[in-house]
Amino acid sequence: MKTTTIRDREYRRKFIRRLMGGCLLFMPMAVHASAQTPTIKLFPTTVLEEIKHTGNVAAEMETGLQAVIARLDEQQTLYLESKCEGNEGDPGCEQIARQMGQSYLEMLNIMGDKLPEMETAVNSTSSSLEKRIRRELGQKKTSWSLQELLVGAQSEGGTNADKPALRGRSGMRLSDRFHQYYKLVARSGGEVNSSLAVIASDIYLDMQETSSLIARTREEISRATLMEQLNQSFGTITPEMQEVVAGVKSILFGEEQASMPMTAPPASQPQQGYESPLNL
Amino acid sequence: MNTSSKSIVTATIAMTVLATALTACNSNPPRATACSLPEGPDLDRAISAARFDLETGCEHQFDQYFQHLLTIAEGDPKKGNKAAFSEFLIWANEEGLLSKRQARETYTRYFGVKYVSLISDYSVCDQTCPRQDEVMREMNRELVDKEQGLLKVSADKREYYRANRLFQETELVLEATCEACGRIE
Repeated sequence: MKTTTIRDREYRRKFIRRLMGGCLLFMPMAVHASAQTPTIKLFPTTVLEEIKHTGNVAAEMETGLQAVIARLDEQQTLYLESKCEGNEGDPGCEQIARQMGQSYLEMLNIMGDKLPEMETAVNSTSSSLEKRIRRELGQKKTSWSLQELLVGAQSEGGTNADKPALRGRSGMRLSDRFHQYYKLVARSGGEVNSSLAVIASDIYLDMQETSSLIARTREEISRATLMEQLNQSFGTITPEMQEVVAGVKSILFGEEQASMPMTAPPASQPQQGYESPLNL
Repeated sequence: MNTSSKSIVTATIAMTVLATALTACNSNPPRATACSLPEGPDLDRAISAARFDLETGCEHQFDQYFQHLLTIAEGDPKKGNKAAFSEFLIWANEEGLLSKRQARETYTRYFGVKYVSLISDYSVCDQTCPRQDEVMREMNRELVDKEQGLLKVSADKREYYRANRLFQETELVLEATCEACGRIE
């Protein structure tokens, strides 16, 4: 009876040792798995839908403005080709200037109508993202763990093509930007936390900037409308008018393709380097 | 010279030698008092010389020695240099010249992708955002050190690119996060 107990103990010990050995083998996987969780929740469905909606509102506004801005461009070309600059007294030039003024007023009216809806959509998305970023990145993370989150995707070996370009305003239509944001977020499916943190930050800062631009534009519209109504009686083109049109075009339709602010990756292939036990 | 004169000279020499020896015993070892930074382009030799000096009275000049070794290594940049500096820092820790934390932070500062400037115990909103500009300046200085360690000493472009990208991403994410933290209703 006693001998059996000792043998049992021996078996138990061996069994526990083997079990421990097995656990040790699985430990790296467990650590790896725990490093991947918990998932940060930056883009719930509501935020995703808001981004989509903002893109649609921007597309509507662009469609409405496209025709009138194209007309303005044509009129301005005609004005310049007719050598009207410095020749304002000419009746033909005055007529072109008045037509331009009318197109300009039309543009301001369309913007005045559409901007409030755009502003609401942008602010709503911005506010939702703000709360998410504050909670998930600002309150749940230290700067060190935030860094570990960001560096995670780099070591996961994602190709550079998968990585989002930083800062949104890169010379494209407003609606395209939101459409791209939507695709980026929807495609990632919440799998790569680090990329999502960058995308969320990018969208949020872009929204802040857009929101501030919209607010400033709205303030200017009523004043610009009044000024242009006055100018109509004289048939002149003011430099301010040209500036406003240029500004609207750059906000809505983007400037010429600007170079991305990212540095180019080195041409060398990924490789395993020396890993010091000191490396944090 | 007669016998008595000889014995006087011998006694004087003996006294001088004894006095010199006694003076030497009372002061630091001659190698250590020099604390001369190692010369020559050979990193391994320079590390050996630095080790000797640092364990014989020059430990207060650890930073200068470390920086000098980096400069020597710049003359022959290669990935193997990382291991040489890692071993040197481990030795410094074992000799009690640096704590383990200091050794890790020094290695990571020059040869790691992550930024020791971001080490913190509390949340981003509470600890990092109130000193966001300072943190970014520290990171910028650290990126310069990584340029020396990863590029100039180790010729590791890939790791330097990762560190540079991490800097840009951190700057963007911190800007957004601190903006969001600052707008608590």
